[in-house]
This record gives sequence, C-alpha cells and structure tokens, in this order.
Amino acid sequence: MQSGPLSLENRAGELQDNGQPLLQIRDLKVGFAKSHGILPVINTANLTLGRREAIGVVGESGSGKTMLCRSVLGTLDRHGARVLGGQIMFEAHDLANAPESVWSKVRGKQIGYVPQSSLAGLNPVINVKTQMVEAITAARPMSVQDAEKEAVELLEVVRIPRAKDVLREYSYQLSGGMRQRVMIAAALAQKPKLLVADEPTTALDVTVQKEILTLISRLRRELGMALILVSHDLAVIEEVCDSLMVMYAGASFEAGSVSVTVHAPRHPYTKALHDSRVDTAERGKPLEAIAGEPPTIGSWPSGCRFWPRCPLGDDKCRAGDQPTLRHVAQQLTACIYAERMGDGHD
Amino acid sequence: MSTHQMAKLPSRSRFDAVAFGMGIIQNRIVSRLLRSLLVGFGVMTIAFFLLRLVPGDPVQLLLGDTGTPELVEAYRQMLGLDGTLPEQYLRYLGSVMQGDLGTSINSSVSVNTIIARSLPVTLWLIAVTIVLALALALPLSIAAAIYQRTWFGHTFRVASSILLATPVFYSGLLLLLLFAIQLKVAPVAGYRTTFPTNLNYLWLPALVLCGVMVPITARVLQSSVIDTLDQEFVETAVVRGLGRLTFTWRYLLRPSLAPTISLLGYMIGQLLSAAVVVELVFNLPGIGTSLIVEGVLLRDYPVVQGIVLVFGMIVVIVSFLSDLVSGWLDPRTQT
Repeated sequence: MQSGPLSLENRAGELQDNGQPLLQIRDLKVGFAKSHGILPVINTANLTLGRREAIGVVGESGSGKTMLCRSVLGTLDRHGARVLGGQIMFEAHDLANAPESVWSKVRGKQIGYVPQSSLAGLNPVINVKTQMVEAITAARPMSVQDAEKEAVELLEVVRIPRAKDVLREYSYQLSGGMRQRVMIAAALAQKPKLLVADEPTTALDVTVQKEILTLISRLRRELGMALILVSHDLAVIEEVCDSLMVMYAGASFEAGSVSVTVHAPRHPYTKALHDSRVDTAERGKPLEAIAGEPPTIGSWPSGCRFWPRCPLGDDKCRAGDQPTLRHVAQQLTACIYAERMGDGHD
Repeated sequence: MSTHQMAKLPSRSRFDAVAFGMGIIQNRIVSRLLRSLLVGFGVMTIAFFLLRLVPGDPVQLLLGDTGTPELVEAYRQMLGLDGTLPEQYLRYLGSVMQGDLGTSINSSVSVNTIIARSLPVTLWLIAVTIVLALALALPLSIAAAIYQRTWFGHTFRVASSILLATPVFYSGLLLLLLFAIQLKVAPVAGYRTTFPTNLNYLWLPALVLCGVMVPITARVLQSSVIDTLDQEFVETAVVRGLGRLTFTWRYLLRPSLAPTISLLGYMIGQLLSAAVVVELVFNLPGIGTSLIVEGVLLRDYPVVQGIVLVFGMIVVIVSFLSDLVSGWLDPRTQT
C-alpha cells in the first residue's frame, strides 16, 4: 500500500459505515425555467448508493443522465435548471435546491467530478500544475510547494509517467487519455467520498477507454470511494459497477445489481438495451436496434414513456402517469408487466 | 535500453522543442518588425501623395493675395515644394530616414518639436481611455454574459447599440454640458502636463472615447464569455469550489480575453481618429489638435505627413503589443 495523501490509513476513520446510504435520490424532479413555463428534464428519478458502492447510470442521450449528475454536483442553476421536487440526501445534507452554504461544504471536498472526455475538462490557458494546485488548495490552504508535491503524488496515483514534466504542460500538449488521467487526479485531490464520472471515456480510443475504466475501477476500490458512472454503454457499466440504474425520458426505469439487472431484466427497455449490445451480439446475426426514437425532452408520451417503442405496450400502458419503481424479483422496475418477463436469459 | 535511459529520451526531445519554439518566436518578432517598417513606409507614402491630391496650395494660402510669381517660387524652394512630385518625395524620404520630419510651413517650427510637444497628451488620453474602457467593459461583459437572458442582458444589448451609433462630437458635447457645466466636476477645457493633475483634465475626454471602445469590446467579450461558460472546464471549476476571484479571472476572463485584446489592437486606429475629434471638443493640446489646427486647415504638408506617420506607428506598435498580450493570456495563440 502506498503512503501519501491518498493512502487508506488517512481515510480509515471516515469510512465507518453507519448503515445509511451515502447518497439517496428520491423522486427527483428537475426542469429548465423557460419564459413560457417549466420544461421538465427529470421526472421521478430514484437512486440509492451505498458507501464504496459503484452504480452505473445508463440511458440514451436526452434521458436525463447528465442532468442527474448536475443535480448531485450542484451546477443545475448554471444551466438554467433547478430541482422542482424530491430529495437528494448526501450524508446529512439535502442537496435539492440547497443554499450555497451547504454546497460549499460539499463542493470540491466530498464529491469529485470527472467530465466527459470529449469536452475540454482542462482549462486551456493555464498549465496542469496551476489547476492541480487550485484543486488541492481549494479546500485545504497550504503552501504552493506542498501543494505541488501533492500534485506530483496525485499524478503518480493515476499512473502518469514523468509527472513533474506533465505538470508544466498545457491541455493541448496532452493526449486525450492523459487529459482524462489529470482530470481524475484533480478529482481525487480532496479524497472525495463520491466520484461522479459522466461518460468519462467518450471520444477516447478503445484501448485508452479500457485503461481509464480500469484506473477508475481500481482507484475507487483502493480509496474506498463511491462511484456514479454515467454511460450509454452497458458493457462499460458491467465491467466497473456493482449496481445499475436505467434511465429513460427523465425517469428511472429499472434499478438493481448489475449481474441481475443486465442478464435478467424486468423492464422491456433494459432488455432492448441489452439486446442491442455489440459486444455480446452473436456472430452472423443482424444487430438488434430499438425501434423508433426516444421522445424529445418535455414532450413525453402519457403513461409509461416507453410504450410507443415497447413490444409489450398496450392501452393500459398509455394511461395515467409514468409508473414508479416497485420491487419485482431481485430488482426495482417501473414496468407494469414486469412479472411477464421471465428469469430466463435470452 | 534501461528504463533510466528510456526516461531520459523524452526530456531531451522536449529541450529541442523548446529551442525550436524560441526560434519560432524570434522569427516572429523579426518578421513583425519588418512588416512594421513596411507599414510605416506605406503610410508615409500614401500620406505624402494623398495630401498633394487635396485641392489648395499651401504657398498660396500662406502668401494670400500678396504673392508675386517670384515670391511664390522663392517660397516653394525654401519649403522644398519645388520640382516634380517624385523629386519632392525622394527628398522627403531622405530626411525622414535621418529622423527629420521637416519644418512646419506655417509656423517654421520643426515637426519633430510639434510632435514631441503634443504626442504625450494624446498618449495619456489613449492610455487613460484603454484603462477606463477595460475597467468598464470587463465587469459589464461578464455580467451581461451570465445574465444574458435577463433584463440586464437586454438592456446591455440595446444600450451598447445606441452608444455605438452616437458620434463622439455629440456625446462629447453632452458629457461636457453635464459634467463640466451642470455638475462642475470636471474642467471645461484645457490641460496641465504634470502627472496626477493631468488626469483631472483627461477623465472626461477618456469617458467620451469609451463610448467608442466599450460597446464594441464589451460585446465581443460578452460573446467570448458566453462561449467560455459553456465549456466543460468551467463546470469542473464550479464543482471544485474555487474562489470567486480565481474562478472569474482564470476560468472566465483569461480564456475569453484574447479576441478582445486583438480587437483593441485593431481598434486603435479608430480610437486615434475619435481622439482627434475629442481633443478638439475638449481643447486638449494633443496631436489631434495639432493635426487639424496647425496641419490640415493650413495645408501644412510636413505637419500632416509627420502626424499621420506617427499615427501609423502607434497603430503598428499597439497591435504588436496586443499580440504579445493575447499570447500571454492564451498560450494556444502562440503556436
């Protein structure tokens, strides 16, 4: 075990389980405030995350995955959105529309963030050192020399070779994989209890994707962090996470442990996602695709939002509101016909 | 090869890259200087010939009705206005090369003296204007970017358009009436050359010139900041809980400023021509006043030529400086 700022000894005291989940999102509603009213983007999202647990959030674009992350990171208002209902319990804090005084205890201290690699997570006009030092000193004032030493250690933790040289460089001088390693190192600066990674491997080479995922997976185990990993790729989540939450059109559709939910789904949408996977497809058989388009934000169909594309969809599905999660077998599902879906594998 | 040697390799190539980079920067400075010389030469040539296309003979103006043909000829020789245009041009070129911008036809004072007397006033005016313009434009544009869709953003758009459409002689007179006559917080006209006192005479004219600078720079900066706000690194900075000052400077302004600074470099010409008008309105003894009163009105060729050359050099120098500053602000623009 290595010593230094991230060693397990340093955290041993903080990791006492008190039986409470680290993060519990209940019936979250998020919307954009527009001049003509409110445009909902998340309606009834539910998520429970234990300490040191890794949960994958999967869904198509527009399903509200990124907005879910932003509600946990406290950046909704920057994007003109706000929490309209529900709870986001993190430790003892309710982060739903929390005042700045609460956020200042959480931001940069207890929650780390790794953004999409396709976007520029590093500031292009200042070098890596300045950004690492900022991330370190944001919550723990210390001399620049000490912070630099810690920055080198952090870069070594994420397996960056020539860490001291990389500190002097700018984002445009680094490869995509290196940038993402730096982002992870910066996210670890405050030894967060929770790491939020929003599609951290999009736009990376396949081999680099694998490296980054392995790194995230290893670090969260070694450092005892909880992880929210957002992806549209079930294979990625299966590799890294313990549990899974499937989102569609702003709602939680299914949640449970990865092994059960992926292979014995109790929601037709999860099954459809699984059937359209490339990595497990049978050779020579045409790939399955989910028919139709996901609904556009704010113009969700009545009833279950998936019914227009669902093989099980009937008149009963169209009626009323989006069904809420309920226990079926070993998982939570929002499908009213979940019992019809057997335990069998396909 | 041992891992130790392996580790050494990249650092050597990095050293080479640095040396190579220095070469590029030196080349850039040399080529920039050559270009500046070329621009100066072009400005001088155009000023020389353009002036002589303007109707009105300086010797006729000087002598009025009393000029006999012999007297006119004698004056022409004395003032270097005899001979063909190309001959005159070569003579002028020769003396400029030696640093002599000629002698005023009207007052017999050397143009170098006129410029040395009036240029500092104008440079002060420009400097105060740029500082004031940035002090106004930076907070305004950040606020207008963050509150883009609120009443503030809309007011900002409308107000900057109105300000942009207002000519400086008009806004100058209005502000003069308001601040100097009504409120009596600024002198009506005049100038003192000593440092802290001169600011008293400069802030109002500079404010008028800001009417030219602020709407354009603030609008450009606002749209850059709006782009920056969408960047993922801003999101990361918010999540990291950085201090407000660090956040605003390093994450909002620095990544957004480069286009605005380049624009300042280009706008300096426009600013100079506005400064000419403002100097006249506020009766500042700057180079613009010299240009109009001593030069253009009296067809004083050497004065006009000299001042236009100085204007050209100011534009060249300022745009060079603005390149340096935007390179420092945003290292991407250096490559």
